[in-house]
Amino acid sequence: MKDLFTNSLNGYILLSSLLFCIGVLGVLIRKNIIILFMSIELMLNAVNLLLAAFSVHHNNPDGQVFVFFIMAVAAAEITVGLAILVMIYRNTGSVSIDALKKLKW
Amino acid sequence: MSESIQQYIPIAMQFLVASGFVITTIVASWLLGPKVKTLHKLDTFESGLQPVGNARMQFSIKYFLVATIFVLFDVEVIFFYPWAVNFREFIQEGFEGFGKMLLFMAPVLIGFFYVIKKGALEWD
Amino acid sequence: MSKLKENFNDKKMTAVIILSCLGIVSMLADIFSYKKALWYIVLAGVAGAIVANLNEKSNAIIYDMLLTDNYAIWFSTLILALVLLWFMVSKDQYESGVYNSSDNYALILFATVGALILTSFSDLTMMFLGIEILSIPLFILAGSNKKDVSSNEASLKYFLAGAFASGILLFGITFIYGSTGTFKLDKIADWANAAGSNLPALFYTGILLVMVGLAFKVSAAPFHFWTPDVYQGSPMFVTAFMATIVKGAAFAGFFRLFYTSFTSASGSWALILSILIAATILTGNIIAVYQSSVKRMLAYSSIAQAGYILLTVLLSNQEAKYALLLYIASYGVSTITAFTVLYHVEKIKGTDTFESFTSLSQTHPLLSVVMTIAMLSLAGIPPTIGFFAKFYLFSSVLKSNTSYLWLIMVSVAGSLVSVYYYFRVIIAMYGQHEPIISSEKKQIPAFYNVLLLLLVCVIIILGMMPDVLMSIDNL
Repeated sequence: MKDLFTNSLNGYILLSSLLFCIGVLGVLIRKNIIILFMSIELMLNAVNLLLAAFSVHHNNPDGQVFVFFIMAVAAAEITVGLAILVMIYRNTGSVSIDALKKLKW
Repeated sequence: MSESIQQYIPIAMQFLVASGFVITTIVASWLLGPKVKTLHKLDTFESGLQPVGNARMQFSIKYFLVATIFVLFDVEVIFFYPWAVNFREFIQEGFEGFGKMLLFMAPVLIGFFYVIKKGALEWD
Repeated sequence: MSKLKENFNDKKMTAVIILSCLGIVSMLADIFSYKKALWYIVLAGVAGAIVANLNEKSNAIIYDMLLTDNYAIWFSTLILALVLLWFMVSKDQYESGVYNSSDNYALILFATVGALILTSFSDLTMMFLGIEILSIPLFILAGSNKKDVSSNEASLKYFLAGAFASGILLFGITFIYGSTGTFKLDKIADWANAAGSNLPALFYTGILLVMVGLAFKVSAAPFHFWTPDVYQGSPMFVTAFMATIVKGAAFAGFFRLFYTSFTSASGSWALILSILIAATILTGNIIAVYQSSVKRMLAYSSIAQAGYILLTVLLSNQEAKYALLLYIASYGVSTITAFTVLYHVEKIKGTDTFESFTSLSQTHPLLSVVMTIAMLSLAGIPPTIGFFAKFYLFSSVLKSNTSYLWLIMVSVAGSLVSVYYYFRVIIAMYGQHEPIISSEKKQIPAFYNVLLLLLVCVIIILGMMPDVLMSIDNL
């Protein structure tokens, strides 16, 4: 445990946190729904990178198995998201979240 | 040194076979196929769209449907990788590994059957 | 193959297998045209799953991923019972022709599989998968009224909130994995016990991120902003499903994770969680007062109730398990009843505002009585089960730790505020007398009258003798 912050793992943690924060900011700031989806994917991929790094660090394959599950689930999730997007585009003709004002936010 | 080069011979063979297959089919179709030259055939290929003009055009919503279905079934393949890596151990244990893979494939195939029956792949 | 066969012979996770197969059967109903019989097949299947679940081999470890202890078995049974109830009351909505019942039932059944996994996981991988199997069908169900823009909007907002929360939850899980090197709940607990008081910052951050992710899922303030919109925009019985079964399963998973793995590190998260609880109770109850739509009021009330249920996670001891089981049962039954009445009222009057309940007691006396009892139960007034659940919860918090007295005072104050908006419905039904338009006299089918009477009996009988649920030993 003591060498957790003295070896190269530190770099992975920083990089992943940075990517994750970019994803979070993207979700919070952007208006275009497709870019929101991309930001969510960025968050998940930051997690994947960190899991792979930890997996190698602990010499334990569980982390990489988890990455497989995250990939499959993320694909299913984004498929559903795109289907919802197509449905909204059919009804409103727009892919901006500003078009959705029917319910109070 | 020579031993380590020998290890790569199967890979080199695979490269040769793969590129040989591609070259053979291209050359064969060029030699055997009829040669008709029209404006459309000499055009740049853009997935059936007009290569010149306004890029902002409406295209069928079917593209999204097929694309999303493709993403789903494509990603399911990743579960084959860990299975394939452990294939040797599964063989030694008999049919258990095979049975598990069938168990995984069955719902995927049922999903595919559902997609076909619902007419999601029919191109009007 | 031998191990697979062994699993079938050992009756392991039979309920999950039955429900998955039932989901596939229901998905194919359209293609093989047995849609008319589907409702009966699904009811029989869910009932079979309850029986199978009660016969489940206890304390079986399944591939080191699931653990069917008493906690798992009883929470699964409760969730399956609520699902059975849901299928009975929602029949009318899916026969109206707006929704495709075969696809909707399949999605509900798949979501239930996720709920069952959330009650019995012993590995963080399974927790993540359970949450996702529970959420992804619901993104679709929220938007199942395809032509309605507000349903679309609810679907997208639920998707964005859900996917965002999953990202945060995963980041937390990764940090916990990074510090402990394992995803197994018991090994994480062992590691935290061995590390004692000098736990690394990575572990703390992980716990906090997991807590934020789960708070999103159970809609605790300040991560509740998506809830009112999603609940309002979704079709009525999808909202009922989200408010009862999804919430119950999410809490069962939340409690299981924190109780098993993080109790020894409670110094790091107890304070933050208690602030979260106070904020949730206050926001939920206060904003609910200002609503004009009953459906939106119930959404804010569900946020407030989430605050009370979170008290059990804060407590994290043996007694809290009983409090959680009792509270989810009481809240689930009362909420399903309230949504069923609201569905019929909306169908008759066309809107779901408080005004639509005006002089309901004259045209529909039974609906008014049922709604009154559901509201009393949600407000926590005897002789309903809601009273006993709240009483048991608050008293067990005070019994174990008197330093949470301030939190109980906030909760009681919140409950008092909640009486106001629950009683607004009752007063609207019985208070004013207005001339009745003949089109509003349409009665509901006898089947639902019987069902609603049954639900009222459950609420009152369980309120009189809650020992039925308390007598489960070694939960």
